[in-house]
Amino acid sequence: MAATDGRRALQTLSSAALALPAYAGAPPAGTTLDYHFFHYAENDLPADRVAGSQRGRYDIDGHKLQAETPLGARYGLRADLTVETMSGASPWFVSPGQDGRPVQVMSGASIEDSREDLSVEVTRYDDERTLGLSLGHSQEDDYTATYVGFQYGFEPQGGQLNYGIGLSYSNDELEPTDGGSTQYPDRIIRASKDQLSLQASLTQILSANSLLQWGLSYARNTGYLSDPYKLVYADGNTAPDTRPDERNVGAWYLRWRRYFKPLAGAWHVDYRGTADDWEVQTTTVETHWVQRLAQRWRLSSGLRYYSQSQADFYAPYFEAAPANGLMSSDYRLSPYGAVSAMLQVNYSLQSFELGLGYEYYEADGSLALGNVSVENPGLLSFELINLRVAWRFD
Amino acid sequence: MSGARKFAACCLLSSSILGGCAIEPVKAWERGQLAEPEMAWAVDPGLADYRRHARFSKEAAFGQIGDLGGGCGCN
Repeated sequence: MAATDGRRALQTLSSAALALPAYAGAPPAGTTLDYHFFHYAENDLPADRVAGSQRGRYDIDGHKLQAETPLGARYGLRADLTVETMSGASPWFVSPGQDGRPVQVMSGASIEDSREDLSVEVTRYDDERTLGLSLGHSQEDDYTATYVGFQYGFEPQGGQLNYGIGLSYSNDELEPTDGGSTQYPDRIIRASKDQLSLQASLTQILSANSLLQWGLSYARNTGYLSDPYKLVYADGNTAPDTRPDERNVGAWYLRWRRYFKPLAGAWHVDYRGTADDWEVQTTTVETHWVQRLAQRWRLSSGLRYYSQSQADFYAPYFEAAPANGLMSSDYRLSPYGAVSAMLQVNYSLQSFELGLGYEYYEADGSLALGNVSVENPGLLSFELINLRVAWRFD
Repeated sequence: MSGARKFAACCLLSSSILGGCAIEPVKAWERGQLAEPEMAWAVDPGLADYRRHARFSKEAAFGQIGDLGGGCGCN
């Protein structure tokens, strides 16, 4: 029994060290409940970028509860419930201003919506392998998503490498508010889309205090990929946002962790790149310093940089509609860069953990890696506040 | 360099590096620092999930396993 206990302790240690979704570790040591409250607030757009007086944007209040527990010696169960309420206005279309510069037209009426998302994941742990299956469902007034996932991890005994693969599929159904109505006759009544993702990762123990993970993924999206609420300005009129019905995305990422024992802190560096057949290329670099203070406190500070190029059918507005009919003025498909800064404080007391965090995010055309000749007027800045309470029942 | 070429180059680079690595093995009893909570991929997984969802809704980059089920992100 002692040998078994020792082995279990070692597995737990290794599992904590390599907390991958698909890692050949051990079931959770005890039951945990982890609650977060989020307040996400988009800042008003500058007056000189907006047509009309509506400058306010979106606010979201979110509650997220995660529960994790062992099921016998070989299984672990995790459930995740998110409830959000959203309100505010959103960018509708972009039109040419008096001087030709694009200005943002916001949706007039305030949008009210809520979302509930429940997912469950069961993982089986063997000596060298883990096998995880997950199922989830997300529901909004106008949007339903059902998704499944499979993850497999393999770590040869005593090895320095961990191999992981994942597969996931999502079916999303849209039923836009007022679709096909007399007020919005061009808005679709209903549509659907599918997403299939494949992922592979490899984790290396570089040394006694550093880890590296590589990953590659591919995602294929088919179906209705436009935004039913957005319009484009073309030929002096507005028309529905129209995107291709297929999108293939390749992504690669690298994550590095280094522990500094004398400082009781760790340095995190994450890089991620993506490219797709809409000609959008993105680069993300994020770094954090995670510092333990006086055993009970943990301070995490981070910076993130993001840049994307534009989709090949994007323009702020169109002098003439393109022959293939594909056009979008969505700021999310425009060229820009963004920076964000994050700060998180956590306090642990026996089986409780309390947390408080803040993030500020700002996007700007001048932050892009490439040259941006005309910036989309709807670029985003937001603040995110979070509160956390976690309990552990050993 | 096109996106497809970047993707292929990354695959090739990854396999070359991983295939040719000669890193000194770290024994199980030497992995204490790797097990520190500060070394986790996500120190606060719930917060990391939520941030990923917010960005998935507001940026063009996506393709991660965790991007699924995040709702429309239409607004």
